[in-house]
Amino acid sequence: MIDGRDMEPPEPLELALAALATLAPGAELIMLLRCEPLPLYSILDRNGYRYRSERRADGSNEIHIQKG
Amino acid sequence: MQPTLSFEQAPPISVPYRFFLTAPLFGAVAGLVLAWFGPAALASRWSPGALAMTHLIVVDFMLQVMCGSLLQFVAVVAGANIWRPRLVAAVVHPLITAGAVFLATAFLLGQQVLFLLAALVFATALGLFLTVMAVALVRTPARSASIRVLRLAVFGLLLTVVLGVTLASTLGLHRSLQSIWSLPTLINVHVAWGLGGWALMLVIGVSFLVVPMFQLTPAYPLWLTRLVPAGLFLALCLWSLQLLPGTSAAQSWQSGVVLAGMLLAGLYAVATLWLQSSRRRRQADVTLVFWRGAMLALLALAVSWLLFLALPQLGGQARAPLWLGVLALPGVFLSVIQGMLYKIMPFLNWLHLQRQGGTVSTQPNMKQMIPERAMRGQMRLHFAALALLLAAVIWPALALPAGLAFSASCLWLEWNLVGAARLYVRFRNRIRAAAAAPLAPI
Repeated sequence: MIDGRDMEPPEPLELALAALATLAPGAELIMLLRCEPLPLYSILDRNGYRYRSERRADGSNEIHIQKG
Repeated sequence: MQPTLSFEQAPPISVPYRFFLTAPLFGAVAGLVLAWFGPAALASRWSPGALAMTHLIVVDFMLQVMCGSLLQFVAVVAGANIWRPRLVAAVVHPLITAGAVFLATAFLLGQQVLFLLAALVFATALGLFLTVMAVALVRTPARSASIRVLRLAVFGLLLTVVLGVTLASTLGLHRSLQSIWSLPTLINVHVAWGLGGWALMLVIGVSFLVVPMFQLTPAYPLWLTRLVPAGLFLALCLWSLQLLPGTSAAQSWQSGVVLAGMLLAGLYAVATLWLQSSRRRRQADVTLVFWRGAMLALLALAVSWLLFLALPQLGGQARAPLWLGVLALPGVFLSVIQGMLYKIMPFLNWLHLQRQGGTVSTQPNMKQMIPERAMRGQMRLHFAALALLLAAVIWPALALPAGLAFSASCLWLEWNLVGAARLYVRFRNRIRAAAAAPLAPI
């Protein structure tokens, strides 16, 4: 789980890429962000990861990422 | 609506970098002009030295960085298609550079032909830039507050350029437009659109996105994102009415327009400082300190201007406009620009290395792109130079140290930015070499 809500861009993205490098098959990385991370989505698409984004009650986004 | 960035449309890194890497050098030249001409350059806003310095800073420093940033920002924030950014940058960048050198030299030497050359070069370069930018901003489906304000800013640049080219042609042809407009009236409107309608409007538009996003502050209140740009634009339109025949003598309503414009600028500065004071992360990086310095300078500018209106014996002094100019140019705009460059260049380095296949282990992180100590040292020198410049307006004998300090701070900025660009090239080459290397035998 990466809570990037109080991090300065692109720190959440840096942490996500580090975590994805060691993500086991079947495991899930969850990110909490205040914005919709379009740059991350394009990286995930290019590298064959699956993801879904949910809007939480406080307005932030919860993103679930798995190896495709 | 939440802010989003799209990097699919981001232009090649060379597009913004060519603007960023030449701009500080001309700031250094402006400082040397002040050091060379000494107190004479600070006699009034009309002295050849003051006019040359001003245009080296506003065109070759500010406009360069603003054009380079806008080519990047509009593509990323609006997801807009910029028409052939590499070609546009390759034409606009050298022409703006040359144009400002022609203009500064024309002011220093009084050479008419150089004014004409500057007018021709600016009309070509900025005509192309404005067309490309206007098409991108009109076509984009993005409707954020930032984009609305950027459209106003680009319109402000258009008017500044039209008036500036008219002025340079007038000086070049030595033909007076006195029968239509007095030269000071044209200059008043040119300066107002250049500093208020273009530069400040651009800072405001960009801040609505970058202050909450990078400084982790609450968003600007919705009412403020509407009132300040619209009010400023209206004030500038009213200010421009002095171009209509028979209105140039109407001083009282012009004072009212200045009052409104300064109150709006002051409101924006206070709101930004207040947002920054309620940011979610307590750590203050150099970008934040540069922004705070800029907002304090904007507040000081608004207060000074109102004071000059209230006390005509003070406002009527020949050096009063220089005080306002120092607060506006090195104080507000160069502070914001330098703070943003220290954020943009590490970010673009990181982004472009990542896009080329860099990984966490093969590329430096954001904070390693420019050493923190170097940025902080340069920032201190910049604010010390600003203080010296303000002091030199009051005691012109300080012109030499003020000019040298300003020049040194610009050269240090250049050194830091070149370091970041060299780091990018080194890691890009490393990533390419790793991709091209044959697999090691097992």
